Amino acid sequence: MTDDLIARLAADLEPTPRHAVERRILLSLLMGMLVTVLWAYLVFDLMLGRTFGGADSVAMFWTKFGYTLALGLLGLAAAPVLVRPDGRIIWPLVGAGLLALMALGSGTMMWMRADWPMDMLMGRTAMVCPWLIVLAALPVLIALLAAMRRLAPRSPAMAGLAAGLVAGGFGAWVYAFYCGETGMMFIAVWYSLGIGLTALLGAALGRTLLRW
Amino acid sequence: MQADETETRLRTLMLASLDGDAAAYRQLLSELTRYLRPYFARRLSPAHASHAEDLVQDTLLAVHTRRMTYDRARPFTAWLHAVAHHKFVDHVRRHAIRPTVPLEDDAPVFAADDSANAADRLDVDAVLSDVSPRTADLIRQTRLEGASIAEAAARHGMTETAAKVSIHRGLKALMARFAGGEK
Repeated sequence: MTDDLIARLAADLEPTPRHAVERRILLSLLMGMLVTVLWAYLVFDLMLGRTFGGADSVAMFWTKFGYTLALGLLGLAAAPVLVRPDGRIIWPLVGAGLLALMALGSGTMMWMRADWPMDMLMGRTAMVCPWLIVLAALPVLIALLAAMRRLAPRSPAMAGLAAGLVAGGFGAWVYAFYCGETGMMFIAVWYSLGIGLTALLGAALGRTLLRW
Repeated sequence: MQADETETRLRTLMLASLDGDAAAYRQLLSELTRYLRPYFARRLSPAHASHAEDLVQDTLLAVHTRRMTYDRARPFTAWLHAVAHHKFVDHVRRHAIRPTVPLEDDAPVFAADDSANAADRLDVDAVLSDVSPRTADLIRQTRLEGASIAEAAARHGMTETAAKVSIHRGLKALMARFAGGEK
């Protein structure tokens, strides 16, 4: 029985390219981003009437650009390790947490100096911002989870969390091009919330989808 | 020492397999079977002993379909142990089996192998290197791994009689060499 299985598996053997896992993840991220960019244009520009590059303050635009991209890249550092059966890595997730804390800290400082005006926290879009980030992140999350189904994560939930962090970071990065908010506290709270929700969604989906 | 030797040997086979070498792959999988069978058997109560073979096959299948996740720069035995452990935990949960060993107290896959204990196996390897590789393999299969002569002969594509003769001559030669003459 087992001998038959070995013979069949050996007959089915095909060469595995080097860095196959990393390539698989990057390729799915690329495909997800293509869909996200089109999807964001469709929803944010055509349906919601936001203009591309609509940030009022250049400095704030670059802050959003850097913050979201950094979170996405931290997720991308964790993902290829967490999808392996013997993969353990913690620093990117700790790093993401610290980065969010730093954003909250500096946001609070700026908010305090301006004597706590409510619109610095809420802007005009606080109630939709996290949801739109999740929406923008969905294509990337779906592509990553689909690619990871062929892999073998030690913990499916952790691998899903990493996928969610990548999707959330890159989704929010695309969203930033259509977002006119300028408050540091706004970014620290609502962007982080959107990215965090995507990461949690990834973990919940990963728990069932990434079983092997 | 023994573990390092196992690691080197299996890792070499795995790297060749990843490059598409079917013969190395076949050898790798049958060697893994030899380690995996006792690994799972130890962990199951006698009532569930029949699950061991399923688990061996599940693990081989996972090695096959998930081989992409082996990082060439890392130890192979650690990866294989992680795969086997994952399959065991998964199987135990799904079938609500009570394992005989607490999951935390998880000796690695390569702590023991099927044919004999580690030191004896090294001796056997050394002794068998004196006869031709085919004869050595026939002796190993029939006398150590419990295959029948017919099975061993079929694996080498020879007739049963030829295999018998080959084994007999091999053992005789070894006896002459190590027992100081025929007995």
